[in-house]
Amino acid sequence: MNRTEVLRHIASLRNGAPMIISPGLANYPIAEAKDEPLTIYNMDMPYTTPMALGMALGWPERKVISIEGDGSLLAGPGVLSTVARYRPKNLLMFVFDNGAYLTTGSGKAPTTTAFGTDIEQLGRAAGLQNTRTVHDLDAAKDVISAAFTQIGPWLIVAKVDKQDRPAERGPHTLPMYVYEAGLIFHRAALKEKAAKK
Amino acid sequence: MSKQQKVKTPLRNVAGTGKAGVRHRQEALESFYDGFKVAGIDFAVFLPDSMLDGVEQLIIERGDIEAYQCSREDEGIAMAMGAFLVGKRPVALMEGSGIGMSALILARGIVQKTPTMLIIGHNSTLGERYDYHGATRLVAEPVLRALDIPYHVLFDPGDIRKVIVEAQATIEGQRLPFGILVPSHVIREIGESR
Repeated sequence: MNRTEVLRHIASLRNGAPMIISPGLANYPIAEAKDEPLTIYNMDMPYTTPMALGMALGWPERKVISIEGDGSLLAGPGVLSTVARYRPKNLLMFVFDNGAYLTTGSGKAPTTTAFGTDIEQLGRAAGLQNTRTVHDLDAAKDVISAAFTQIGPWLIVAKVDKQDRPAERGPHTLPMYVYEAGLIFHRAALKEKAAKK
Repeated sequence: MSKQQKVKTPLRNVAGTGKAGVRHRQEALESFYDGFKVAGIDFAVFLPDSMLDGVEQLIIERGDIEAYQCSREDEGIAMAMGAFLVGKRPVALMEGSGIGMSALILARGIVQKTPTMLIIGHNSTLGERYDYHGATRLVAEPVLRALDIPYHVLFDPGDIRKVIVEAQATIEGQRLPFGILVPSHVIREIGESR
């Protein structure tokens, strides 16, 4: 299963939902699908899910999405227990597990999932109930669609291949506004909240 | 009657701390809480810490500021920043050691203009007696200074409320994190055994 295909499906269901993406290749398909204002790209690891958790608790009316890699989630797995404690119904955690630090350097350095670490089971052990591991695109689409309509929190681990790493690095195509990201996101969130009052 | 029971200053027994526990000045705890309310703080994240436990428990008891406990301090700061991004006015409370864990997320918050208030137990100079707090008192202020994060070390408990309110003005005006460090004497009964 290719990560880009799964990300495109998530983007198609997103409906502008707040989203934070861990560092690496997962950012590009999301930005290419639609550069939404409620997006934080390339969050330093391991803060993608912690920041998304704060958003989910602070804005319970809105679905909030974290896009993690196996490396970034494993850098701070304790957050799974915090999520399990507070169980925000609106939090969707997607972990793309390719067994490697694929974006980094040669991309050949493995993560511990290549040696048997099971991220879904970490989530189960932390106390999460809505967890799945998916290995093919059809199964991924089914569970992701369910997660967008059912009560969370959800932890969905997608076992993906390494084919989305380009053979050669091209120019940086992400929106280059990390210095403005907080301002843009904050303004958009306040505007949306005000409009619904 | 024990020595502690003779003290006239209103004190708050911290539940479950037993003989080794501490007692906080109720007046100081109320000043923190009042400061938070006046500043509009509506979202608190903390990792339990002896120094700030009374404040944290008061927030939970009063119930009108959302309160969450994190697993690590840097995780908690990230949670607070996420809450800020969706319109909350957050505070993160922790021991000074937690700031040592949090340089990267604080830097990200500065770069991304996503602030939070930080209430930090312990400081570099006053009221520290134990060697096991050596790393705690060593790490917090240097991290704040290295990142040019504005901070204030409380000295007079009478300043607590005003410092919190003014700090929040700086946080919103400058979109920077702001640290408020809490030496022991500000919140605990002076002279009590620690």
